[in-house]
Amino acid sequence: MSMKRIMESLGTVNSKYQMFHAMTEDTDPGDAKFLFSAKDNLTSKDMETCAGSRILEGYFPAFDATAIARMREAGGKLIGKTNMDEFGFGTFSTNSGLEIPRNPYDLERACGGSSGGSACAAAVFEDHVSLGVSTGGSICCPASFCGVYGIAPTYGRVSRYGLIDYGNSLDKIGVMSSKAGDLRKYMGMIAGRDEKDPTSCVQPEMRNDHRKIGSIAVPREGTEGLSKDVAKAFADALDELRRMGIDVEEVDMPSLKYAMPAYYVLATSEASTNLARYVGMRYGRPQGDLSLKFDDYFSSIRSEYFGDEAKRRILLGTFTRMVGYRDRYYSKARKVRQVVIDDYKRVLEDHDAVLAPTMPFTAPRFDEISGMSALDSYKADYLTVPANIAGTPHMNVPCGYDGNGMPIGMQFVADHWNEDLLFTMAEEWEKDFEMRRPEVVA
Amino acid sequence: MDRETVERVARTAHIKLTEDELEKYSRDLGEILTYFELLDEAPGCERYGVNPIEVADVLRDDVPRMDIDADLLLKDMETYDRYVRGPRLS
Repeated sequence: MSMKRIMESLGTVNSKYQMFHAMTEDTDPGDAKFLFSAKDNLTSKDMETCAGSRILEGYFPAFDATAIARMREAGGKLIGKTNMDEFGFGTFSTNSGLEIPRNPYDLERACGGSSGGSACAAAVFEDHVSLGVSTGGSICCPASFCGVYGIAPTYGRVSRYGLIDYGNSLDKIGVMSSKAGDLRKYMGMIAGRDEKDPTSCVQPEMRNDHRKIGSIAVPREGTEGLSKDVAKAFADALDELRRMGIDVEEVDMPSLKYAMPAYYVLATSEASTNLARYVGMRYGRPQGDLSLKFDDYFSSIRSEYFGDEAKRRILLGTFTRMVGYRDRYYSKARKVRQVVIDDYKRVLEDHDAVLAPTMPFTAPRFDEISGMSALDSYKADYLTVPANIAGTPHMNVPCGYDGNGMPIGMQFVADHWNEDLLFTMAEEWEKDFEMRRPEVVA
Repeated sequence: MDRETVERVARTAHIKLTEDELEKYSRDLGEILTYFELLDEAPGCERYGVNPIEVADVLRDDVPRMDIDADLLLKDMETYDRYVRGPRLS
């Protein structure tokens, strides 16, 4: 489908899938070289930016996030800002104060979260790349549920300038697409040092040696608790990798089981401080009664406009940082993060990558999600959280489909700064993998 | 988590909770913190940082400049004579 055709059909397609919160009104790509979309927690000059939250409604940023600016400089046209869980707080993109994206393979199912709208756009539009953001699995999870490739690079690889923070020590901006080759191409555009984000300034140059993965470690802890369909697809994928000449070895990574609680402590601690800035004054439309005392004013705005999961995570993060609890939770979680990093480094001394399924099940139906407790949904992240807490680059690769035709994905994890290995893996895998694109009826 | 603790945490975080919310978050946070007890048995280590990668010596020189026009930042805020209006302090 031509770029012009895609742009003309945006409204109709979006009314079906709800991948975009804001869209361009242009119907002509002009001299654009490619079209792209971006998660709505990346600031954009020409489109409202809400990060899935009602507290940011009416916020039109004065500047572009570096990742968006670099895509535009390379000739990209931003066509939409994608729907997501509020501030990234979720596994299914259903924790939103705004619109909830629908899975392109079955509209009654979720896209995954929190970059659900981005995964949806990458699956629905041909030749489309979408920028996602991962804090605890928010690129790989939706990429898995929507059957597309997705990479979250090494922490610090892409400048976070203009990213609406969730957890500063965890947030990573990456790329999602139905084409494996797009990962290398567009990561090359957005990566690199940026003086506006000091954490991006320590990175070595991103290599493009097309180095192939020769050996893979499969942690036993990563193959527990899987649905039957996911276990079968993953076993078949391992056979295919062996056929490709890659050594596959089972290993133990005992630290992985501690990554989930450590992640939720770190992420909510950081989120609860980041969200302190939303008080109805500086971002979005002021909606409160200025005659109130400041305490009452701030509290009334925050109580009314933060959603359920945002409140839960603010409370949890505030608690785990409080005097008397900080050592048990926040400080311990930081130590556990180092233990997880050490575990990856140990295994990656003898292997090029660590591999497990991306999610333990395929995209659930919305009615199934509404029956899950908060803890149930946190637990669903146990496969994606370890690489995120370690800041190691990780990538979802589609590897099969379940009995209902829903996509299944596997997640490769490489050592810090070794994205090249992942790009090459995706490119090699794509040659023989039979991808089933969703049937898109505009 | 008992209701009193939830109330205290919510006050610190500037969030007012309804009775139903107090009930719900008290139950949810209790369940979540019980699960977090797993951290008590996790091994620790001596060296650990704030970020997963080492970030050091990356400060730039402090040079005054104007990256964004202040009027652009003020356009969506409630202002009076180019001052941002806020609630009463007392």
